[in-house]
Amino acid sequence: MSRAIRSASSASSDKVVNLRDCGPEGCDIDWLSSERHETEIDDVMEFTRYALDRGWGDGLPLIPPTEARVRQFLSKNNRYADEVICTLPPADGECTVEKIAINAVMAGARPESLPLIIAALEGMADPNFELFGQNTTTAPVFPLVLVNGPIRNKLDIPYRHGCLGGARTDATAIGRAIRLIIRNVAGQEANVTSQTTFGSPGRISGILFGEWEERSPWAPLAERRGVKGDAATVYGTMGTMNVLDTTSQDPREFLEMTGKSLGYIGANGFSPAMPFAETMVAINPVWAELIHAQIPAMEDVQEILWQFASVDADYLTPKHRQQLEAQERIIGGRAYLSVEPKDILVVVCGGTGGLHATGFHSFGSCLTQTRAIVPGPELEG
Amino acid sequence: MALGNILDPTALRSDDITSPGPDAGILAGKTVGFRLDEIWRAWDWMAEYWADEFRALGAEVVFWRSHQGRTGAEGERVAAQLDQFLDSIDIAVVGLANCGSCTGWTVRDALCAAERGLPTTAVCTEVFLELAQNLAKRGGRSGLRMHVLPYPLNEKQREEVDQVARDHFIGLMETMGVALEGAREAVR
Repeated sequence: MSRAIRSASSASSDKVVNLRDCGPEGCDIDWLSSERHETEIDDVMEFTRYALDRGWGDGLPLIPPTEARVRQFLSKNNRYADEVICTLPPADGECTVEKIAINAVMAGARPESLPLIIAALEGMADPNFELFGQNTTTAPVFPLVLVNGPIRNKLDIPYRHGCLGGARTDATAIGRAIRLIIRNVAGQEANVTSQTTFGSPGRISGILFGEWEERSPWAPLAERRGVKGDAATVYGTMGTMNVLDTTSQDPREFLEMTGKSLGYIGANGFSPAMPFAETMVAINPVWAELIHAQIPAMEDVQEILWQFASVDADYLTPKHRQQLEAQERIIGGRAYLSVEPKDILVVVCGGTGGLHATGFHSFGSCLTQTRAIVPGPELEG
Repeated sequence: MALGNILDPTALRSDDITSPGPDAGILAGKTVGFRLDEIWRAWDWMAEYWADEFRALGAEVVFWRSHQGRTGAEGERVAAQLDQFLDSIDIAVVGLANCGSCTGWTVRDALCAAERGLPTTAVCTEVFLELAQNLAKRGGRSGLRMHVLPYPLNEKQREEVDQVARDHFIGLMETMGVALEGAREAVR
């Protein structure tokens, strides 16, 4: 059964909010089920200290998730507050729309970002994404979120200059909301459930960026993965690695330089503990155009990058080589960062200054997931 | 300054089994299963040493080697193997929690064994004990038995590891809830 109720928010433009099973007499009930805590709500710094003491925060200022703010966030979306989107490991906490809204409010994310956050979390919750391993490991890994489709512009998702960090955009708060959900719902906390040795700056607000589809000569990454239009792709990254190339003139040389730079033996893709590792590469739009003119097929671009992202087996330390040999991962005297060319994921983004590519090494053993970003169901009444 | 209500952002599970589960009891006639992994050679050596001791006490011993790859077709294969392994044993010794993700999977696999009612002990190195305990609690079973080994372990030579195995065998049996009458004398 579903009943329509009016948001308690004072904002008159807010929509009616629905809740399942809210009783035969209508919905004059408390439809937000989270525990309440009485605390200072006007002073952001005071609340931030309060939240930090309880393990809810990342150290940056947090907006108090008052009932009014959370209701207002939900009222601008067509989702039921009690809908369970997924469970997130290692705590296996139930990630409801309400919990997403609370954490998004704390992070300062816009209500319009909810469908994107949900799509990203659905991807992360897929067992093939191996979020359990990512959230507990000694590695610094965290899920990167790549956004495709028109929603990039609606949410001001950066895909041009500084798209991986530093661009002027409030979309940073969306990435932070996802990170707070990983902390508060998935239960990831350094030295508690996560043994991460160094962590990563990406564990504060993540890396959330778009593909510059209008400048890419290839189909958007999500479309190549079977999802057209608005989509979120999540990928377990160890961080970013810059590739500078001021010498190459030929597109193949760009790819050779980038591929060779990716292939360093301490990358998880070369670890005997990881059966495979995808690798994401961001190519700037200037290079993309040049490369496409000579190598139009994405499969060929992937093949060249894959080929060069490898090392001579003799370059490995003897024990490392021995273990990879035992796993039959030395092919023709070389060890490869990724098992197959299709595991190299290429996206186009970044500024028009060119000169650089970015490599995102993977944790390994986690399969990248792409999900459509969809609005919630239509409201009643 | 104004006081007001805020909503709790967490969603951690509140159910918890604090019991360690059944004791291993008398070993004679039972099958002890070691869950190994593909990273830690020291854990292989420890398991080999302890397996000989268990055999001397009348138990059968089987091994199953887990993999970090728990996704895709490989993940399904590993999950099926784990099921088969747990079906074939009476007592589970699961290790080695000696890194972040391998502690995670050690605890996950141990929880699987414990959920089936098997006497189950997870083995971890001391650096990863707190993580293992937290993960067991978050997994709803804070009572999971854990035996703690020194750290670093994998960097030691074979004879040093054998010495650790020797030193820890009685303690391991105590953690497992093995009926120790007569067992102490039989230990090398």
